[in-house]
Amino acid sequence: MIYVRESHVEKMGKTQDVSYEILNVLEFNSTRKRQSVVCRYPDGRLVLYCKGADTVIYERLGTGNDDLNKVTRVHLEQFGSAGLRTLCLAYRDLAPDLYESWNEKFITAKSSLRDREKRLDEVAELIEKELILIGATAIEDKLQEGVPNCIQTLSRAGIKIWVLTGDKIETAINIAYACNLLNNEMKQFIISSETDAIREVEERGDQTEIARFMKEEVKKQLKQFLDEAPQYFCSPSGPKLALVIDGKCLMYALEPSLRIMLLTLSLNCSSVVCCRVSPLQKAQVTSLVKKGARKITLSIGDGANDVSMIQAAHIGIGISGLEGMQAVMASDFAIAQFRFLEDLLLVHGRWSYIRLCKVVMYFFYKNLAFTLTQFWFTFGTGFSGQRFYDDWFQSLYNVIFTALPVVIVGLFDQDISSSLSKKYPELYKEGVRNMFFNRRIVAIWACFAVYQSLVFFYFVSLSSSTSRDSDGKMFGLWDVSTMAFTCVVVTVNLRLLMMCNSITRWHYISVGGSIIVWFVFIFVYSGIMTRFDRNDNMFWVIYVLMSTSYFYVTLLLVPVAALLGDFLYLGVQRWFFPYDYQIVQESHKDDADSINTPDSEETKEHLTPDEARSNAISQLPKEVSKHSGFAFDSPGYESFFATQFGKYVPPKAWDVARRASMKSKSKPK
Amino acid sequence: MTDTDRGTQRDRDSAFYLFTQQNLPACKPVLTPEWVFMTFLFIGFIFIPVGLVTLRASHSVVEIVERYDIGCVPEPFRINKVSYIQDDSIPKNCSLSFKVPKYMKAPIYIYYQLDNYYQNHRRYVKSRSDKQLLHGQNQHGISSCQPVEVNNDRPIIPCGLIAWSLFNDTFTFIRNRAELKVNRKNIAWKSDREHKFGKNVYPFNFQNGTLIGGGKLNPRIPLSDQEDLIVWMRTSALPSFRKLYGRIEKDLDVDDVVVVHLMNNYNTYSFGGKKKLVLSTTSWLGGKNDFLGLAYVFIGSSSVTIAVVFTLLHLLSQRH
Repeated sequence: MIYVRESHVEKMGKTQDVSYEILNVLEFNSTRKRQSVVCRYPDGRLVLYCKGADTVIYERLGTGNDDLNKVTRVHLEQFGSAGLRTLCLAYRDLAPDLYESWNEKFITAKSSLRDREKRLDEVAELIEKELILIGATAIEDKLQEGVPNCIQTLSRAGIKIWVLTGDKIETAINIAYACNLLNNEMKQFIISSETDAIREVEERGDQTEIARFMKEEVKKQLKQFLDEAPQYFCSPSGPKLALVIDGKCLMYALEPSLRIMLLTLSLNCSSVVCCRVSPLQKAQVTSLVKKGARKITLSIGDGANDVSMIQAAHIGIGISGLEGMQAVMASDFAIAQFRFLEDLLLVHGRWSYIRLCKVVMYFFYKNLAFTLTQFWFTFGTGFSGQRFYDDWFQSLYNVIFTALPVVIVGLFDQDISSSLSKKYPELYKEGVRNMFFNRRIVAIWACFAVYQSLVFFYFVSLSSSTSRDSDGKMFGLWDVSTMAFTCVVVTVNLRLLMMCNSITRWHYISVGGSIIVWFVFIFVYSGIMTRFDRNDNMFWVIYVLMSTSYFYVTLLLVPVAALLGDFLYLGVQRWFFPYDYQIVQESHKDDADSINTPDSEETKEHLTPDEARSNAISQLPKEVSKHSGFAFDSPGYESFFATQFGKYVPPKAWDVARRASMKSKSKPK
Repeated sequence: MTDTDRGTQRDRDSAFYLFTQQNLPACKPVLTPEWVFMTFLFIGFIFIPVGLVTLRASHSVVEIVERYDIGCVPEPFRINKVSYIQDDSIPKNCSLSFKVPKYMKAPIYIYYQLDNYYQNHRRYVKSRSDKQLLHGQNQHGISSCQPVEVNNDRPIIPCGLIAWSLFNDTFTFIRNRAELKVNRKNIAWKSDREHKFGKNVYPFNFQNGTLIGGGKLNPRIPLSDQEDLIVWMRTSALPSFRKLYGRIEKDLDVDDVVVVHLMNNYNTYSFGGKKKLVLSTTSWLGGKNDFLGLAYVFIGSSSVTIAVVFTLLHLLSQRH
């Protein structure tokens, strides 16, 4: 039982509460795209009310009222062009006996144990026909703030952006214009199922014929566009291409025979808009690109209907918001607003790539330098396999003496600051082209590791062939190896500092700390003799070593000689063959290096309400063409409706300011 | 600013916030050509003088090297040196003489140098027992000494191949018909003498087997005083090495003729090794080794060259 407070025109604005009994609720699902409710009026009249997308409602209307239907359809198109999201409402009077028989079927379907969804859909089909159209509603669905900017920045970064939405084609196109994905200079290829020819065939009602005809149409159009496309490529300043495709056509285009054509065409376009897509189709399109084009795909969405798409892509991002947390729970990353995607990709994504490359390369380099030194030693031991270093040195090398600095680099290294990363999105392409971890880079690091290991071994061993000090005594094997190991640890840690782009105090602490830990360790290790020592332990080695001036002379020479090659290479590479990010670094190196606070938030807090309002008003774009994202930035729908009837109503100031500062719900999927 | 604003400002500056927001104050070094040039020049300015000082130290050392293992084999035995060295009935006396090229200030160190002798071979290096050296008769942990562990069911002290192959050539020096006294004390590392070789451990059952590897030890002198053994047991890193034999505490003048009477006992002929006698003075940096000095000078001068070349290229290319 529900109560509705009604006020009728005849009753001169008096309100009364009328009770309606709700008999059945046919719930919404995305395949049916509608929902219905059967209710009983207080006077016993049975009515089925249905609300849904215009296509599905129009399919189920009865004959008669054709004028109303046509006029409503015209209105719906106007709403769509204005970017509003439309719904149709319809009703049907039910005879009691018809209702009774249907209700039995409904209850059976509802309580069935198998295929309940399918049976409910079938039962709903039985009653949702011969509807009478009531009218249409249109809702404005604002874009989140910052979305057009974000999309523009990401396309500058070389990321192709596709829109997959369940809205009508007009709404989808309008959204794309608002986001700068489409503009009037682009050549648009539109594959729609709402042409007159197709409507004609649909009215005939034969399912197989419809399917065959549509498939033919889609194939014809795909072929035609594919043939047309190359001519736009020849001129680099020619218009960009865009593809707009409908959900129904997509169903046929994703079939194995046509999907390759679809893939080729869509990869040549700089943006693709798919409208009226079901969640399953969203996932299918994503897999098409992922497997067919072998590119890395990222899906972002905020509703439950985006979950399959989020899971199908390589990376799925959910926006946590007013539509619930299903998208967030299915995703790999969750962000709060769409515009944070820019930060996620251009700043953190890029930094992660750089850090990962550095960490991996450094690990291989330091182990190579360390191990090859022993390798050169084997030539002098008759290939008997005698270790050059003590066992403990080898075990602890990667654990204590060189571990922490590289972790710090992996956490903190930033080649350019976050604001500059967003200012130059083209730098993202360095990651796409895998410029920092390819064979050339690996070979260069390996060569330097070999060179350094030669320096370590030969400098140390050749200089210790005569007496160590003025007292004439000679070094043994373990003394030479301790000297070499000290040089390795110092050199490898200093090399890390050389490859950092930004050095915080944690870097100094970890690098200095690692070297100090080495000395502490060797002081303790060679100062203690226990029962568990192996033969010829390192007793007193470091103290003797450090009492000679040979130690200090060698410790100054060897790291510098080893790092000289690397330093020269870095200098030459940066100056004569620089990477893009290095050029950016140089041109901005004199910028005031303040702690980067998020600028926009700071400034907003310090404005008075008046200033905030005028700020917001000045940021609204002006209307230029028919498709300018009118609905998403226009001040007040009151004025929109008024202009439809030829009247001019000025926008209200409070409305403008409210909209400009409001953070609202959904955005394009 | 209100209190809440001040509070957020304080939070914004806190170390934890900076850490998690990746906003730590950092220095962002950019390697400009000026830096490259200055660094290389700086290295050159430091290294060349240090290198020259080091070279001077090395050149101030006077070193005499005399190979004697071929010359000391009498003519009839040169064809089969191995049987010569292994035959105990042949006397092994030998003498050689040399002239002092430069004034040598005391103390003058005497070394024996062995080439092609792999003291760093894995099985050789592990063939010893430090516990036994320190504590004497010890049942634990001497399996590493195999095969020189027991002889006739009695343990060998000191066990192991290193001790078994003790060098046993001896040298006496005569100048102008007067013997030069050789000080054979304090030739081993002090830490070895005091902490690694026991004061109560005496050689036992040493070199009693059928295969004689090297010298014998006096069973009445404790190991901590057997300095030859201690020096020998500090295994060296490379196959060509020298070990300290003793010290001469007198000066040697230019053109002094020194005659050495040596006993050519040690067998290096079976494996093509060489034996050399070395007399050397020392400097603050040690013996005569030009390597460090040359390396410093080389690195220093190449740094300066690179700095100059780099600057020329930079001026020629004119980027930015």
